[in-house]
Amino acid sequence: MMTIGPVHYLVLGAILFTLGAAGVVLRRNAVVVLMSVELMLNAVNLTFLAFSRFPLVQNAPMQGGILQGHVAVFFVIATAAAEAAVGLAIIIAVFRSRTSINVDEFDSLKF
Amino acid sequence: MEAVLFYIFAIGVVVAGAQVVLRRNPIYGAVSLVACFFFLAGIYVLLSAHLIAILQVMVYAGAVMVLFVFVIMLLNLKEEELGEMHVTTMKGIGLAAVLVLVGFIAWKALTPVQFARDMAVNEQIHGFGGVKAVGNVLYRSSVLPFEVTSLLLLVAVVSAVVIAKGKI
Amino acid sequence: MEVNWLHLVPLLPLIGAAICGLVGKWLPKGWLYAVALASVLLSFCIGVTAFSNLEGENPQIHELVYNWFAVGSLHVDLGFTLDRLSGALVLVITGVGFLIHLYSVAYMDDDPGYWRYFAYLNLFVAAMLTLVLADNLVAMFIGWEGVGLCSYLLIGFWFDDDAKAYAGRKAFVVNRIGDFGLMIGIFVLFTATGSVNFAQINAAPLTLGLASAAAALMFLGACGKSAQLPLYIWLPDAMAGPTPVSALIHAATMVTAGVYMIARLSHVYVSAPGVMAVVAIVGCLTALWGAVIGTAQNDIKKVLAYSTVSQLGFMFIGVGVGAFFAGTMHLVTHAFFKACLFLGSGAVIHGLYGEQDMTRMGGLRKYMPHTRATFAIATIAITGVLPLSGFFSKDEILAQAWHTRAFDFLTLTPSGESHLTWLGFVIYAVGTLTAGLTSFYMWRCYLVTFEGEYRGGTDVHPHESPWPMTAPLWILAILSVLALVLGLPESWARALHLESFNWERFTDGMFAQVRGGPPREGSLLLGFGIAWVVALFGGLTAWTLYKPGTSMTGDERFARAVPAVHRAFVNKLYVDEFYGWLILRPTWRFAKALWHWVDATLIDGLFVNGSAQAVEWTARSARRFQNGNVQRYAAVLAVGVAALVLVFLVRG
Repeated sequence: MMTIGPVHYLVLGAILFTLGAAGVVLRRNAVVVLMSVELMLNAVNLTFLAFSRFPLVQNAPMQGGILQGHVAVFFVIATAAAEAAVGLAIIIAVFRSRTSINVDEFDSLKF
Repeated sequence: MEAVLFYIFAIGVVVAGAQVVLRRNPIYGAVSLVACFFFLAGIYVLLSAHLIAILQVMVYAGAVMVLFVFVIMLLNLKEEELGEMHVTTMKGIGLAAVLVLVGFIAWKALTPVQFARDMAVNEQIHGFGGVKAVGNVLYRSSVLPFEVTSLLLLVAVVSAVVIAKGKI
Repeated sequence: MEVNWLHLVPLLPLIGAAICGLVGKWLPKGWLYAVALASVLLSFCIGVTAFSNLEGENPQIHELVYNWFAVGSLHVDLGFTLDRLSGALVLVITGVGFLIHLYSVAYMDDDPGYWRYFAYLNLFVAAMLTLVLADNLVAMFIGWEGVGLCSYLLIGFWFDDDAKAYAGRKAFVVNRIGDFGLMIGIFVLFTATGSVNFAQINAAPLTLGLASAAAALMFLGACGKSAQLPLYIWLPDAMAGPTPVSALIHAATMVTAGVYMIARLSHVYVSAPGVMAVVAIVGCLTALWGAVIGTAQNDIKKVLAYSTVSQLGFMFIGVGVGAFFAGTMHLVTHAFFKACLFLGSGAVIHGLYGEQDMTRMGGLRKYMPHTRATFAIATIAITGVLPLSGFFSKDEILAQAWHTRAFDFLTLTPSGESHLTWLGFVIYAVGTLTAGLTSFYMWRCYLVTFEGEYRGGTDVHPHESPWPMTAPLWILAILSVLALVLGLPESWARALHLESFNWERFTDGMFAQVRGGPPREGSLLLGFGIAWVVALFGGLTAWTLYKPGTSMTGDERFARAVPAVHRAFVNKLYVDEFYGWLILRPTWRFAKALWHWVDATLIDGLFVNGSAQAVEWTARSARRFQNGNVQRYAAVLAVGVAALVLVFLVRG
C-alpha cells in the first residue's frame, strides 16, 4: 500500500477514463462532452507515462525506447489542443445556426 | 512520502473529474477540469515526467482551458438552455459497457504482472523524463511525426477560424 | 469414294436462301426467281452427276466436310454420304423441288411476300438435303430440325391470319414431341454403340433392349415428322400454307423423313423386331384412319392431306415388315403422284381465286384440261390401278406384309412357334381395305372436282393456269407413270430388259435383313388380282355415288343413312377435340395452377415481394440504429470496443 507501483497509476487512469466516457455518453451539453473527451485523453496520457516508467518489457532499449511514451503524450497533447480548437469552433458554428448546443438535437447526420 | 502525495493527487483527480461530468453548469465543469489537470500534473511529476507535467500545466490548464472558458462565456447560455441530463437505454448500455471494460482491465491489471524495474529509480537513467532526455528522443527518432504535428496544428488554426467565423 | 464437292448439293440452295432472304426484297423479281430456281437446278445437276457415278457393289460417295466437335468419346463430323438411297432421294428432292419452285413462280407471283417465300423454300431444300445426305445422326438432326423450322415458317406463311399462324404453331409443337423422342433415341444409340455415325451404328452389335429402346424412341420422332398416329394431327392443319408448300414439304419430301430414317437405321430396327411390329401396326392403323377421314372431307387439300397421312402409313407398313426397299420405293413414287395431285389442286384453287371447297367446284374439265388430265393420271397412280407406279409400290408393300417373316422372330412359345404369324396377314388385309378406301376417296375427289357441272359462284371464272404451272404438272404426271419401272416384278422386268431400274435390285445390300428370314413365296398374280379388284371396286363405288348427273351426291346419301357416323367423319373423328380433352385441357389447367401457385404466389409473392419485404423490414429495423444521435453512436462504439477487448482478454 505504501509502495506506489504501476498498478496504482493504471487504476487511476482507468477511473479517469471511465469518468470521461460517462461524460461523453451522458451529457448533452456539447462543451461538456468535449471536456469529457479531454478527460479520456488525459487518462490515456497517464497510462502512457505509467508504462513508460514501468515497462512490461525486460531489457528495454535505452534510447528511443522508454521515453517513447513521453513523446506519445507530447503528440496527444498537441492533437488534443487542435481538437479542442476545431471542436469549439464547430460548437460555435452550430450554435449560431441552431441556437443550441445540445448534442441530441443534432440528428441530421443520418441521411 | 510518495504514497501520501499520490493519494492526495489521485483523490483530487477523481473528485475534480467527477465534478466535470456531474456539474450542470459548464463553467463549473471547466474550472473543475483545470483543477483536475493540476492534480494530474502532480501525478506526472510522481512518474518522473517533468517535462510533460509542465506541458500539462501550460498547454492544457493554460491554453486549452482558457479556450473552453472563453467559448462558454461567449455562448452565455441561460439557465433553461443548459438542459437536463438524459439517461436513455442506449446511453446506459454504453456506460455499462465502459464500466465492464474498465473493471475488466483493472482486474486484469491487478493480477500479478511481471513489470520491469522502475526505470527512473532503479536504473538511474540520468534525467529521466526531463527536457533533455525527451527532446533527444523527440528530435531524433520522431522528427517526422513532430513536423506533421506542426502541420496539424496549422490546419487546426486555419479551420477553427474558417468554421467559427460566419462569413469570411 | 471420297470427294470434295458433295457439300455443294445442300450448300447451293442455302446460298440461294441467303440471297433471297437477305436482299430478295430489293432484287428485281426475275433475278430473284433466277437465283431461287438456279440454285436448286444446279443442285439437281450435281446430284445427277453424283448418282450416275455410283457403280459397283453398294457404292457410296462420301465427303467429310469438317470435324464438327469431339467431346470425350463423342466425335461428330459434318459429313455427307451419297449412296443409292440418299442419291435417289436427292434427285427426288431437287427434281421435284425444282418443279415446285417453277410452279411457285406463277403461283406466288402476286403475293407481296414472294421473296420471303422463295427464301424459305430454298432453305427447306437445303435442310432436306442435309437430312438425307448426313452421314451421322447429329448432322441428320440438323436437317431434321431445319425442315421442321421451314415447315413452321411456310405453314404460317400468311401469318396475318390467326388460324394459319396457329396451324404453324401446332405443327411445330406436335413435332417437338416427336423430336424429343428422336433426341433421346440418338442418345441411347450413342450410349449403345459409342458412335453417331450411320455406318458404325449399322455395323455395331446391339442388344435387344437397347435396340428396342432406341428404335421405339426414334419411331416416336418419325411419328411426329411423318404424321403417324397419334401425332398426325398437325398435317391436315398444315394445309394452311401455300399449296406448293403442301406439295413439296407435306407430301413429297419432309413427311417422308421418318421413313427414310428408319430405312437408314434398318440395322437397329431389325435388331428390335418388337418395335418393327409396332411400326407396322401403327402404319397400318394410320393408313386406315387417314383413309376413313379422307372419305368425308370437302376441302380438296384436306382430302389430299389425309391421303398423305394414309400413304405414309403404307410406307411405315413397308419398313415395319422389314421390306425397307418397298417402303422407300413407295416414298419415291408417292413423291411424284402426290406432288402432282397437290400441284393440281393448287392449280384448281388458283384458277378459282382461292376456292378450296369441292362442293363449289365441279365440271372443271372444261376449263382446265391440262390440270384435269394430270390430276386423273396421278389419281390412277395413287389408287393403284395397273400398271401405274402406285400400283407396284403399294402392292409390293402389301405383298411383303402378307408374306413377311419379320415377326416370326418374336418367338413366344417354348416350342419355337411364333404367335405372330397372323400379324402380317392382318396388316395385309387392313392395307387392302385401305387401298379400296383410297381408290374410293380419290375418285370421289376427282369426280366432284372435275366432272359434272360447275357449282361455284357466277362471279368466278375458272381458267387454266400458265405454263410454269402446267409444265411441272405434266412432268410429274409422266414421272408417276414412268416410276412403274422401279417396282416391276422381276420376271416382267427381265422380259422388258428393265431390270437395272428395279428398286429392289438397285438397293440390294443397303438394308439389313430381318432375322426371321426372307418373306415366304407367294403368288404374284393372286396379290395383283386382289389389289386390282379392290381398286376397281373402290373406284366403281365412287363412280356410282358421284357420277355426273346423280340426283343426290354420295355425301348426302351417306349423311342421310348414318348421320352420326357421317358427322364424325366430317369432324375428323373428333381427334382434335379428344386431344384437347385429354392433353390440352389438363395441360392448360396444370399451367394455370402453376402460374397461380408457383409463379404468382411462390415466385412473385414469396421470392420477389417477400425478399423485398424482408429487406424493407431489415432496413426498418436497422434504421433505428442510425438515428443521427452522436451520443448513441458513441455508446454503441463503446459496446463494440468492450466486446472486442473482452474477446481478446478472455482468449488471452
